[in-house]
Amino acid sequence: MKLFIAFFSASTLIVLAKPDGAQLFTTNCSACHQLDQMVVGPSLAEIRQIYNGKPDAFVKWSVNPMKKRPNVIEMPSMVHVGEEGLLAIYEHVMKVAEGVKAKAQVEGDPFATSPTQAKRPLVQRMFMPDAGPAAIAVALDDSVSLCWDAGECRLRYAWNGGFIDGYPYWSGNGSSLAKILGNIRYVEKESPFAETVDPRFLGYKIEDELPVFAYQVGSRKVTETFSAIADARGFTRSFKISPAPSGPIEMDMPSDQGVSYSSDKGTWTGSKLKLKAADAAAFTIKILFK
Amino acid sequence: MKLSILSSIVCLSVSASAWTEYFSFEKIQNPEGIDPQVGAMDTLKDGRIAVAFHRGEVMIYDPADKSWSLFASGLQEPLGMLSEEDGSILVMQRAELTRLKDLDGDGVADEYQTVFDGFGMSGNYHEFSYGPARDAEGNLYIALGVASNGAPMREEIRGEFSEIGKVNREQMSTRAGWGKNKGPAGRMYSRVPWRGWVLKISPDGSQMEPFASGLRSPNGIGFDAKGRLLVTDNQGDWRPTSPLYEIKKGGFYGHPASLVWTEGWDGRDPMDMAVKELDDLQDAPVGYFPQGELANSPTWPVITPKGALPDGLVGQTLIGEMNQPSLVRVLDDEVNGKFQTALLAMFDGSPLGIGNNRIVFGNDGAFYVGKTALSWAGESGIMRVKWNGKPFFAVEAIKAVPNGFAIRFTQKVDNNTLKSIEVESNTYEYRSNYGSPKKDLQKLEISQIELLADDKTVILNLKDFKEGYLHAIDMAGVLSTDGNKLLGKKAWYQLNEAP
Repeated sequence: MKLFIAFFSASTLIVLAKPDGAQLFTTNCSACHQLDQMVVGPSLAEIRQIYNGKPDAFVKWSVNPMKKRPNVIEMPSMVHVGEEGLLAIYEHVMKVAEGVKAKAQVEGDPFATSPTQAKRPLVQRMFMPDAGPAAIAVALDDSVSLCWDAGECRLRYAWNGGFIDGYPYWSGNGSSLAKILGNIRYVEKESPFAETVDPRFLGYKIEDELPVFAYQVGSRKVTETFSAIADARGFTRSFKISPAPSGPIEMDMPSDQGVSYSSDKGTWTGSKLKLKAADAAAFTIKILFK
Repeated sequence: MKLSILSSIVCLSVSASAWTEYFSFEKIQNPEGIDPQVGAMDTLKDGRIAVAFHRGEVMIYDPADKSWSLFASGLQEPLGMLSEEDGSILVMQRAELTRLKDLDGDGVADEYQTVFDGFGMSGNYHEFSYGPARDAEGNLYIALGVASNGAPMREEIRGEFSEIGKVNREQMSTRAGWGKNKGPAGRMYSRVPWRGWVLKISPDGSQMEPFASGLRSPNGIGFDAKGRLLVTDNQGDWRPTSPLYEIKKGGFYGHPASLVWTEGWDGRDPMDMAVKELDDLQDAPVGYFPQGELANSPTWPVITPKGALPDGLVGQTLIGEMNQPSLVRVLDDEVNGKFQTALLAMFDGSPLGIGNNRIVFGNDGAFYVGKTALSWAGESGIMRVKWNGKPFFAVEAIKAVPNGFAIRFTQKVDNNTLKSIEVESNTYEYRSNYGSPKKDLQKLEISQIELLADDKTVILNLKDFKEGYLHAIDMAGVLSTDGNKLLGKKAWYQLNEAP
């Protein structure tokens, strides 16, 4: 019986050359529309709810789609399929989605507590707000985090509170940025080094679970590592420069950040740290949030 | 005629599970708590499988005890991987090619070394980074996707901004009003360096050569057994259907946005160039995946090793596919020194499922198919597929001959079933629109079918055998002399060059 129907419909198809809705659907729609689940576009079950009994509205929308859902991309026009083809797709969708219930969309990040996401400290490359596109988020501990920019080879900002919510990025097509969970407490608008012409990012090593960022500035290699100060009070930042600078250097830290600076070497004038050549090869700056 | 339709339908309905007579399909256990969308995979020397997941974990699967261990984490959208002699692993992530090194030998990477990051990032989501493929000299090849006008750029970018285009930088990076700027921005755009290019990188990462341009969303780059560099791309603007390319130095592969980064470019906006000029400039695909029939979004090419498939199929290229529940076999051919291919489905109608993003082989010849969706249609996790060693009836090779094709099967063919073969041919329109319907679609008359003395090779003589056409060869009704049905029933041969 089944065979007979298949044979019958196949011959009808050949004789009348009626568009094959299932085939057209696979070709034009299936990448974005699944039966019972929203992916790029709404599920067939939902589409059926909207359009059942309204083939003309279905065709009209498919020819001239618009943006009607926030956070969902606009469908490209299906005008090339033709009205007859779109009606065949309509019939196919109404048929296969009959009696199907759309799965409820999962709220929140189902993997937020995964061993690799919940771990602290944590290094996570991510699209971050107020940073270049090659950004790295670092949770120094449970409460102090920072954003390192691997494009510009510099610290962008630090915050305390939680870490990041990467779900908007991970759950979509990658067009969203991560959300910062906490309060930004410190921002650097530029590198504190006086001269950083075209730094080149070399990557990072993990030591004691924390990243040691490395970058090349001219003939010198700089490494920079961070650690949290207890109770979310701030962080330390240790630099190593190799080969050691041949003369004194100055670190020009931002003066408007409501933080206090101290260091193991050098002398401070306001937010400027002067280091003798001998001290500049390795030094640590402590940054306390106020 | 009626009879042949009937017989092909019988085949379809009965053989839906036929792959399962020769292959086992088993979903392997995902690592606990990890988002199991697979971006990249490679087999380590000892046979363990390294897998990079959507959120940047690199984990090692040991088939011996089915255990997972964490090697690295925190990468961004890894989409390519290559293990190295010394145990380190190269991973292509959004921003760079990274070498993961285990310095202290405890099984966990301690160093994330930047091997190459000399390409631009506009911050647009569609700028995926793929690769590397490694040539015989150890050079590495990466492929960079262009941006989509589904979203603007970000204000902060990495690399130089190209002023070429109808929309200026401020407009390109402003979400407000993007609705009116997205059209003039171009369906897919390349406003930062090397988007849409294949780059060749020296083994130590210090030297880069812009190698070829014209790519769109090249989610597959690898060498075949004969050392040809293959790249797959996705149907879209300037992509009538998904193409397979053989990448050669200096080649331009059809998507115009990347042209602005050509050395000595004259400053013209590729969107203003005539289709004819672009068409003359482009290097033709060596194969087409018909949209909705064979593949909508082909993925990584791999070489089938000994033990994975019957000997006659070993060394052939296999490609994954996101939207169809199958993989794609590449049957290579060379006419007048020019490489071209026939493509046909593998594991169609099997329990394989969709989302087939990456394929690697275990040391025992098992396929590991890593799946993803990335918010498009797809699945997640890894399917292990293992051949049981029994020979099966399939197409082994298709070669262009004067006025037609020579098709070699893996088993002796029932001569009486050959008349069921049907051939259609079509072209596609090269155009800026998203995809193209088939053009000049016609059924070709088969003037003669001859079975050679080996009983395995069939010569099809066609009327209207035409260069530049894609030839769909439907062999659904062909049976072996033992009555076996064909696994992989329809092949699409792109005849760029006829003998």
